[in-house]
Amino acid sequence: MNKNNSQEYDVIIIGGGITGAGTARDCAMRGLKVLMVERHDLATGATGRNHGLLHSGARYAVTDPESASECIKENMILRKIANHCVDETDGLFISLPEDDLDFQTQFIRSCVEAGIPAEAIDPDLARRMEPSANPNLVGAVKVPDGSVDPFRLTLANALDAKIHGAKLLTQHEVMGIIKEQDRAVGVRLLDRHTKEEKTYYSKILVNAGGIWGHHIAELAGVKVNMFPAKGSLLIFGHRVNKLVINRCRKPSNADILVPGDTISVIGTTSDRIPYDQIDNMCVTPQEVDILMSEGQKLAPSLATTRILRAYAGVRPLVAADNDPTGRNISRGIVLLDHEERDGLAGFITITGGKLMTYRLMAEWATDLVCKKLAIDQACQTAETLLPGAKKRDNFSLKNATQAIYSEAPLSLAQKAARHRHGSLSTKIKDKNEYEDSMICECEGVSVGEVNYAIEELHVNNLVDLRRRTRLGMGTCQGELCACRGAALLCAKSDNPNAVKDDLADFLQERWKGMYPVAWGETINEVEFTSWIYEGVYGLKPEKN
Amino acid sequence: MKFDTVIIGGGLAGLTCGIKLAESGQKCAIVSSGQSALHFFSGSFDLLSYDRKGAEVAYPLEEINNLSDHHPYRRIGVNRIKELLSQVAPLLENAGLHFQGDADMNHYVINPMGKLKPTWLTIDDFSIFDPMIGIPWTKIALLNISGFLDFHTRFVASGLASSGITVQVKYFAMDSFEKIRHNPSEMRSTNIAKIFDQETVIDEFIQRVNELSEGFESVLLPAVFGLFNSTVVGKIKRGVNKPICLVPVIPPSVPGIRSQITLFKRFQALGGKYFLGDSVESGTFQEDKLLAVNTVNQGDISLVADSFVMATGGFSSLGLVASPEKIYDPVFDLDVISHDKRVDWVDKNIFNKQPFMYYGVKTDAAFHAIKAGRAIKNLYVVGSILSGANSLKEGSGAGISLLSALHVSDCIMKADSKE
Repeated sequence: MNKNNSQEYDVIIIGGGITGAGTARDCAMRGLKVLMVERHDLATGATGRNHGLLHSGARYAVTDPESASECIKENMILRKIANHCVDETDGLFISLPEDDLDFQTQFIRSCVEAGIPAEAIDPDLARRMEPSANPNLVGAVKVPDGSVDPFRLTLANALDAKIHGAKLLTQHEVMGIIKEQDRAVGVRLLDRHTKEEKTYYSKILVNAGGIWGHHIAELAGVKVNMFPAKGSLLIFGHRVNKLVINRCRKPSNADILVPGDTISVIGTTSDRIPYDQIDNMCVTPQEVDILMSEGQKLAPSLATTRILRAYAGVRPLVAADNDPTGRNISRGIVLLDHEERDGLAGFITITGGKLMTYRLMAEWATDLVCKKLAIDQACQTAETLLPGAKKRDNFSLKNATQAIYSEAPLSLAQKAARHRHGSLSTKIKDKNEYEDSMICECEGVSVGEVNYAIEELHVNNLVDLRRRTRLGMGTCQGELCACRGAALLCAKSDNPNAVKDDLADFLQERWKGMYPVAWGETINEVEFTSWIYEGVYGLKPEKN
Repeated sequence: MKFDTVIIGGGLAGLTCGIKLAESGQKCAIVSSGQSALHFFSGSFDLLSYDRKGAEVAYPLEEINNLSDHHPYRRIGVNRIKELLSQVAPLLENAGLHFQGDADMNHYVINPMGKLKPTWLTIDDFSIFDPMIGIPWTKIALLNISGFLDFHTRFVASGLASSGITVQVKYFAMDSFEKIRHNPSEMRSTNIAKIFDQETVIDEFIQRVNELSEGFESVLLPAVFGLFNSTVVGKIKRGVNKPICLVPVIPPSVPGIRSQITLFKRFQALGGKYFLGDSVESGTFQEDKLLAVNTVNQGDISLVADSFVMATGGFSSLGLVASPEKIYDPVFDLDVISHDKRVDWVDKNIFNKQPFMYYGVKTDAAFHAIKAGRAIKNLYVVGSILSGANSLKEGSGAGISLLSALHVSDCIMKADSKE
């Protein structure tokens, strides 16, 4: 163990998903000295493996009013503080002939009770509002759903934590929790890059590891009874729908179709899986079939739309403490003070919840951290804009026009990146045609954006670069841009051969989402990609 | 319209077949939807570069015996291949394409990872290396046009460095390239090649290369020369005062497009009819014969022929199509060799042998296509749409295309002379 790396923080947050990043931001904004550690990259777990739905809460209105009301509040907050990550599309809950229209009545009533604006729409109008929706619909309700990019949202929280003094360590895996008597005082980390072990100390440890938090708790010697629930989703190759389309019925398989960026996502399935499978997610042919057949009921054109990828995430469902069987599962936020619960001081678990309620989870966790440290600072995360978001006070058409003309003109690279990085896109170098060159034509990613990401956005490898920029997320799935991105990484790396291996990992990572749907254009693309990289380039899976 | 032979597909296999038959006096047509695998041509044609375990092959003709019985090479037969090999160089040479190499023993070329790769025939733009000697230089200048993102200098340099070669990477700009940079996605191989095609930049380029490579034994450059103008590479080679070695770039491949155009022109010069941007929609079958085909652009006017050749390529050429339920030939729905269930089509590791790479149209021993269990006696199958080979892993794609096309051409001419 390297004593030189020993440092003391007020709080160490374990997990670089949205909960961890949100908690790091909140703690840092309240003046704490914060370290956030993550074994892979930001948003690699369940955070980046869901619909990216900005829930209105309507989905939970009937079955879980508390979650519904949390959702609508957070929905309104995110539209403000993270407007560059949010696409305010609105959503429809459609009833098909086989659905019970009485449910719609109950649904609208429950929405209103939870504070969710829900308006019944005439079926004819609904068909005009959303031409991709199943034309056989017999009822529709409009709600303030939207889509949110979880990668950008996590990044924005992490960047803001950093702005407020937090230290972020990605590619650092927690190997052990250091305890002194009945108190957790630090972590032993493995730097996955250098293979070096490091120790860091803190007054409080926050376990924000999602489903992996089950294991983190075990390392601390406490038991959190978590059940992994796998949800599979499919990405379609273009934006099929304008509004989010939901089925107006009790939550079920594949009943949400979310438009986001250049694509649409259908999901999810829901299956309990053994804990030892959580790092080994693959989408089965049966799941693909269910998603396709149910999805076509929402939007019939999905039958003829190219499927880009299939992926699966793992929800952390937490069983009530008095229920070891896990039947009594809560989908709500779970905050565990292990000092009270298990007699282990300095250790807190924040879990359950959902992407939508991450900020509230972070607030709860930070409130508890502050209470333990006897710090009296109010939470400001609901009012303070995240980096990249734009102030939109007194919005009017006149102001908007003025705003457009008063802004300094953006370069091509900045314009192309504006919907990804919001106001931070001005950090991309301008007045330089080389930086303006497009390396990913599907998604409009420039040399300048990639260089900005490599320099400022915690990029360790090509897969991280994809999460920051959407490089390789388009219809070609990295066919031509992967290599160009790798070359730019290479220019800033001292080990080009490692970047070649990284390129091979990237192609394997892309294939992981493609092989469950390898037909049509997907199988054509992969054959072509293999010819380029293995055939012409001579890339090998490792040791290049 | 009546032809002796109609060939469906205008890639390497289709063009080879068309040229061979036209050279023999046949009236041929090729129906081509456009691009082909030649557009990602590395500069070399492989015969058999790797064995079944992935090890490099030095003597491809010997290694053919170790391939499976279903492999197109084994179905053609080793002795027959030896006969056909003698036809390859003259066919390419007469078309105006000059290749180096020999089927008896593979030679090496430098790939974009900076490693040596065994291959059979290499277009004379590129440098070939004796397998016994390898790269004879110890100090190489690696030059790229600044802002050209499709040539990865550090990949090439690091690969060569691991063989003990000192490589210095240098970038240079020339005014002539600046205008293509104004559009953010135009700095690509073919646009650079078009500037060189005009020849006005060649002298300045040669001067820059000579300056930048002073003190080095050779110069490595991206293969972006000579798209429509086949004299560019020669002019540069004569002007630069040391050996030049070209390295493939991200597609589109400039030498590949030039090769395709050269073969296409040869076919036309021999009287062949080329339907570009067209595709066959349907065929009229009578018992075990295909009488005519109809294309999208020709509408009701059928293409009638004595013989037909399927040279439609693999998945990326749309020769084979996969739906969630099955893999099929979209032209005639010929019988296809593939696994039934889609889970069996793929391997979860992209670098493993992918089962779908082996799929193709079923044929009899004479390379007749099989439809609904019955051999169609005047419909032949050539090139990547043949089943039984993993041309990517074997390094056998061009060899299968060239040799199956020549083999089938001979069969067609023999059938012709019998009648």
